Amino acid sequence: MNQKIKTDPWFCIELPVTEYHEALAIQHRLLNARINRVIDKEMALLLEHFPVFTIGRRRGMENLTVSADFLKKENISVVQIERGGDITFHGPGQIICYPIVHLRSMHLTVVDFVTALEEVMIQTVADWGIGAVRNQMNRGIWIKNCKLGSIGIAVRRGVSFHGFALNVNTALKPFDWINPCGLAGVKMTSMKQVLSKPPDLNRVYKNVKRHLQDVFDIELIKKTLVDLPFS
Amino acid sequence: MKEISELKLPENVKYTEDHEWVRPADGKARIGISDYAQDQLGDIVYVELPDIGSTFKKGEAFGTVESVKAVSDLYMPVGGEILSTNTALEESPEWVNGEPYDEGWMIEIKLAAVTEPDSLMSRDAYIELLKG
Repeated sequence: MNQKIKTDPWFCIELPVTEYHEALAIQHRLLNARINRVIDKEMALLLEHFPVFTIGRRRGMENLTVSADFLKKENISVVQIERGGDITFHGPGQIICYPIVHLRSMHLTVVDFVTALEEVMIQTVADWGIGAVRNQMNRGIWIKNCKLGSIGIAVRRGVSFHGFALNVNTALKPFDWINPCGLAGVKMTSMKQVLSKPPDLNRVYKNVKRHLQDVFDIELIKKTLVDLPFS
Repeated sequence: MKEISELKLPENVKYTEDHEWVRPADGKARIGISDYAQDQLGDIVYVELPDIGSTFKKGEAFGTVESVKAVSDLYMPVGGEILSTNTALEESPEWVNGEPYDEGWMIEIKLAAVTEPDSLMSRDAYIELLKG
């Protein structure tokens, strides 16, 4: 949007490393609370997941290049979910941001919103001297042909959920077992790989929060799940 | 993003707050999303439509549309039974962006209540909604 509109603060809910299904259930509860206006603020969940592969709504297992038995041995499950995009991996050391945002209240189109989420990631890694860019081939943020951060959202009753995943220190090996985003030949990278040393994860979380505030022109107010009026 | 004055908003359909349109005729109705909705979504890459014969109430999600890594639900403007779906969108989902009221239609239904579309917004009322 060209016009700068002062908006309400967002609630920021930080969770520890969370099992995927549990985080999904929390997202759905917050989403419903936002849709029903039980919660009248936009929200951002920040967390990491235990290792899991997730597949977007209309995709199958075709971009998984290893067997189900192999994944069982590695103790990694595969979950099909309602977001856009193809297959990806989540694991500890990857910062996940799930904004639960009523797009029209924020005067954002879906395209603006996805672009803004990319901007949050670009500015976050720029704090570490990393020059990531957008790529015509696929949304997310890139360094040459390597993908550093991914995006996949869903919109229900005008409220977005799911979000972005930024590889900070996360293991990259599991990405070798898939064609990330359904694109053969795409390599994933991490801030650790680019910097040749692991950045402090807590500092990167702080960077993410600062840039969420800058990019969306909002203030984040820290909340815990028990603070929020939903059951 | 298009200005309101640039949007295609035909007179011969009714609009909803969720930005779907409905064009009733002879107890049936065609349904799709408005020019405003497609403009908000960006380039549409996939449209998921319901099975023929299924029935939905007003406001229920009947399908999804996927654009720029975003999957958005589609909602019934009125209740009814699915008579046909626009299978051309399987190959050419971009019709929804280019011709949202014509080649980009999504479903045709048998209206559960013939008068139900009357309660939806006219072009002028919809423009007022868009102006906020």
